[in-house]
Amino acid sequence: MDMSKKISGASSLVQSLERAGVDVMFGIPGGAILPAYDPIFDSKIRHILVRHEQGAGHAATGYAQVTGRVGVCIATSGPGATNLVTPLADAAMDSVPLVAITGQVPSAAIGTDAFQEADIRGITMPFVKHSYLITNPDDIAKAIAEAFYIASTGRPGPVLVDIAKDALQKETEFNWPTSINLPGYQPVMDAPDVNIRDAAVLIAQSHKPVFYVGGGVIKSNAAKELMQIAELVGAPVVTTLMARGAFPDSHPLHLGMPGMHGTVAAVTALQKSDLLIVLGARFDDRVTGKLSSFAVNAKVIHADIDPAEIGKNRFADVALIGDVGRTITALIPALKREFAKNKADLTTWWDQMNSLRSTYPLGYDMPTDGSLSPQFVIDRIGKISGSDSIFAAGVGQHQMWAAQFIGFEKPRTWLNSGGAGTMGYAVPAAMGAKVGAPDRTVWAIDGDGCFQMTNQELVTCAIDNIPIKVAIINNESLGMVRQWQTMFYAGRYSNTNLDSKRIPNFPLLAEAMGCIGLSCERAEDVDATIEKAMAINDQPVVVDFRVNRDAMVWPMVAAGASNDDIMIAREIAPDWDLEDL
Amino acid sequence: MSTHTLDVLVENSPGVLSRVAGLFSRRGYNIDSLVVSPTKNTEVSKMTIVISIEGHALEQVIAQLDKLINVIHIEEVFEGIAPTHTKDTQPDYQN
Repeated sequence: MDMSKKISGASSLVQSLERAGVDVMFGIPGGAILPAYDPIFDSKIRHILVRHEQGAGHAATGYAQVTGRVGVCIATSGPGATNLVTPLADAAMDSVPLVAITGQVPSAAIGTDAFQEADIRGITMPFVKHSYLITNPDDIAKAIAEAFYIASTGRPGPVLVDIAKDALQKETEFNWPTSINLPGYQPVMDAPDVNIRDAAVLIAQSHKPVFYVGGGVIKSNAAKELMQIAELVGAPVVTTLMARGAFPDSHPLHLGMPGMHGTVAAVTALQKSDLLIVLGARFDDRVTGKLSSFAVNAKVIHADIDPAEIGKNRFADVALIGDVGRTITALIPALKREFAKNKADLTTWWDQMNSLRSTYPLGYDMPTDGSLSPQFVIDRIGKISGSDSIFAAGVGQHQMWAAQFIGFEKPRTWLNSGGAGTMGYAVPAAMGAKVGAPDRTVWAIDGDGCFQMTNQELVTCAIDNIPIKVAIINNESLGMVRQWQTMFYAGRYSNTNLDSKRIPNFPLLAEAMGCIGLSCERAEDVDATIEKAMAINDQPVVVDFRVNRDAMVWPMVAAGASNDDIMIAREIAPDWDLEDL
Repeated sequence: MSTHTLDVLVENSPGVLSRVAGLFSRRGYNIDSLVVSPTKNTEVSKMTIVISIEGHALEQVIAQLDKLINVIHIEEVFEGIAPTHTKDTQPDYQN
């Protein structure tokens, strides 16, 4: 093939995406991006025509979180591009590798308030890892190559490539770069040996160590390495909301999720520890509670690929900057050498943790009025669907119950909007996940509020043969907000009543969108309903689980409170005197 | 609070000033002054940034600046003989 052949900028874009290994992208065409859609028509890349650009962005995120590959979304200028703002912010907060391509008005019109003009590069600057505005077709291939490299390496994140319409239309030659040259971007992969040794010494001396595991372990595909080091050290493991599945919930070393709605054992393990072994986590406020009272007696070993996370919220005694999987691999032999000399006894620590674990297990009460328990529904979906299934959640009470009760055994089976807290994430993310893993069962565990934000993508699922399953945990409320109103606003339920047991009729809405619609409101029907949904594999299924609206998420550390003030139920604190910690 | 001067080498690309200025603004740091000047290499510019900041926060500013893809190199400039920046051992634990 003659490489000097003249092609359009649009063809260069599509060839670049093919060279970058893209197999699927999610998007909607429009004026400024229209030239790109002509070569997309002939490309081997599958393009999924979504119903809203936000759906494209979250679908790309779901795809990326399940496959570990870069998710791709594409939209036109102006409102098309601004509809990607929320998914880009979401991807930045959860370190998701994403490339977003947007059309821009012709270069001569930029800055003139042209039709469908928006400065999307400017708008997204605070929360993209990097961004490009391309006005010369010769720059397209290089920008795409760099975008994929930047999105997928180091701490992953979203990259925006905004391309002026005339750059797509003009002729160019396709020049895929043979190497990437970014002098300002050189991710550090390996922590220095001396720091590894220091970390091993601290671990060997610690009487109360805890592995504080974050989403970085999943990004780094380091679940196996985590298992090795956890079993070698024999310390308790806690997995944050972003790390659910990085370590099996069934493993005896696992104390569950820490944080605002974490288990008493996980929260207390961090609080009372003398050494936090932090792996790909970032001391988020939802984990630490009031920072000045968080784990005050603990030293910190902080392993993260992002140097800016070291010391951002909490001083690190030992910083291990690098890929967390490689860090653990380097740490294991250093630990073995150290343990040969000395290893602190963890028996007392484990006695305390086991006592907490057995005294304060996660649990829920069945409502006494015969209504359905939301936790029970989610618990049963997890049990019946099994640990090979993928679960995407929206944001709120149902998200927390899903994190608590599904039971995760494998990485990349739990998708949620952890950092941004984006309501409406579940349905499009589940769609993207199913596209990335077509042979797996994919559930969206959604709330009735969340579902009403993005359910239009079920049309996409029905038409494009993406048979996801959606469980609407319908408590006819913005449930988590309502819970806070119960606790902190004297039960004054201002604007949290959605009336969604009355309107909309979710099963009918589902049927209208080409899905199967089911409904369930009695505990004795839950298993049969889930099994019915499990048996449908050629169409999306939506189940309206009509649940008790007063159920609350426990345990809870109130926002801004100390983790020491964890409540196991309303106004009930653990009995610390029993624990002698 | 103390005053620090940073010399920041950046790629001379469109939007880079906005990236740097935006980072300071969104992370809540105040710029006392900012000067952009050319270097011998036409592809590289130098930003001289003066900020008033707590010691620990300076490390965060430098680390966050370094994350910008267009930022190539950051150096603190010391006036006189004694360095004004000493590495902090404890961050400020205020919420």
